[in-house]
Amino acid sequence: MKKIEITPRTRYRLKRKTADVIVSVMRYAFLIAIGYVVLIQLIYMCSYAFRVPDEVNDASVVWVPKSFTLANFKVALEALDYFKAFFNTVTVQILSGLIEVFTCSVAAYGFARYSFKGKKILFAVVILMILVPPQMTAVSMSLDYAYFDLFGILNGIGKLIGRDIRPNLLNSGMVFWLPSLFGVGLRSGLFIFIYHQFFKGLPKELEEAAYIDGANAFTTFMRVVLPSSGVAFLTVTIFSVVWHWNDYYLSILYLNDNQPLSVSLSKLASSIYNMSGYGSDSLTYSMAACILYILPVIILYLLLQRKFIASIDRVGIVG
Amino acid sequence: MKSIRKNRSIESRHSRNGFLFILPWLIGVCLFFIRPLIQTIAFSFTKVSVDLGGFHMKFAGFDNYKYALFESPEYLNNLLDSLTEFSYQIPIILILSFIVAVVLNSEFRGRSFFRSLYFIPVIIINSVVMQFLGNSSSVESLSGAAQSAYLNGLIDFESIFLQMGIPAETTNLIFGYVNQIFDLVWQCGVQIVLFISGLQSIPEQLYEVSKVEGASKWEEFWYITVPMLGTSLVLVVVYTVVEFCVSTNNKVIMQAYKVLLDQQIYDISSAMLWLYFAVVGGITAILFVIFHRTCLRRWQ
Repeated sequence: MKKIEITPRTRYRLKRKTADVIVSVMRYAFLIAIGYVVLIQLIYMCSYAFRVPDEVNDASVVWVPKSFTLANFKVALEALDYFKAFFNTVTVQILSGLIEVFTCSVAAYGFARYSFKGKKILFAVVILMILVPPQMTAVSMSLDYAYFDLFGILNGIGKLIGRDIRPNLLNSGMVFWLPSLFGVGLRSGLFIFIYHQFFKGLPKELEEAAYIDGANAFTTFMRVVLPSSGVAFLTVTIFSVVWHWNDYYLSILYLNDNQPLSVSLSKLASSIYNMSGYGSDSLTYSMAACILYILPVIILYLLLQRKFIASIDRVGIVG
Repeated sequence: MKSIRKNRSIESRHSRNGFLFILPWLIGVCLFFIRPLIQTIAFSFTKVSVDLGGFHMKFAGFDNYKYALFESPEYLNNLLDSLTEFSYQIPIILILSFIVAVVLNSEFRGRSFFRSLYFIPVIIINSVVMQFLGNSSSVESLSGAAQSAYLNGLIDFESIFLQMGIPAETTNLIFGYVNQIFDLVWQCGVQIVLFISGLQSIPEQLYEVSKVEGASKWEEFWYITVPMLGTSLVLVVVYTVVEFCVSTNNKVIMQAYKVLLDQQIYDISSAMLWLYFAVVGGITAILFVIFHRTCLRRWQ
């Protein structure tokens, strides 16, 4: 048998190696613990959604239900009025989210590349938009939308022709589309901020080359800047779509009919109660409804996640 | 003179263009942001009555605030509850998301898997789903089931604790906090994203220099990582506070909203909201001043 000689050098290596192993074990333990907390909610949701309602209080059933059933989903689909609500969400909320992705980038480009009078004050307004929660403005907007007016112009014309021509925008998609069109929709302050940080980091040479070739400012923006900022676009698009999908506060205030999915989910208990023959607050139905609600966004996320996670490293939101 | 003109950049030559770029946004801000914001302040100091032609306001001083604070049931309690939650949840969220971000930023096998796993809450948090899962008061029974499901899943820790002779109150207290940690982990998603992108923006050279100078990992962390995160830390704090205010679990906002939705009382609702944001905003502002005075100055 050959004796292993322990020189100071191997001892040092051994020490390094054990330290590395300990660090990585601790790291994985920590990550798995947090991952457990994240996943357990989803597993819990699935566990109840596929369960027969009678098994909810059955102590012998912990995670895996004894009998799989899709009946809960059928009830949930009906109670949510799923396909109609889904259509409403897509045409109103998601569309306005996508509009916002573009309009915010235009405003942010103005802030990032040009200097003009009052820029500092206006950028402070952007920060204020991040800070002020949407409910603050929603209280008075809900009144304003009922008698919509452009700086008193419509009211003035109305008085001249003796008829009130101020349109009532409540209950129409306009309450979401219009602010997004101007770049002041849901959380647009944050989006302008993200774009601003990104555009500031873009090299100017490409744009200068475009100017020399005779392109005007807007063409340059469309043809040169936008194609090279796909990363920022992806980040903002995901956030915008997810937040619009989840919006509940504004929808419940502005939209009475044409309810989006988030509102119909919040009214799930009462709509199940109104449907004859079902218990009012069965856990299985609500969990099935929750799964139906998050499924589209989860699918979208799974499709985009690889790019999204790579993009977070590169966007440099914080600059 | 000639050379100056040559060196002028695109920015100054096209300052008018810049203004055109933000013009739509500027109109939008006036119409959909600044005006309603001022109007809610006005609402909170007046008596608002709505009829067919529009709405009318009559000055009422601090009546609405007085009503919200002293006469309306629950408001003061909700406010205090919400402030206590604010005081312990926000530090926990910040510390937890920072630790996770630091871990996720290091090199190891399966990093991208864990990253995509941890961003899943970003999708679901803030949605109505949380009312069914979280500790919202409206669905107490569901949340009770959810919470026992966490802990009963593998081992029934609670009964072990009881058998060890620890009194029931202590056990309940401990498990109350443990359950809250579950909720708080879920609120860390976006903060982790922001911290990671902040960590990525720290130049690699700084670490190389410190390695050459012989700094330990610990010193590296405290003298490079933490100070360099200054701006993203501010952003994360702001985001967390805003998120806390917007959350569907926030009782004060919910109450103000119910007043608005069910009874169409605009003035009291806006007074409730403004009072709440004045308090929360005031506390945040004080914290920022302290942060600037102590931490930032020492780092510089």
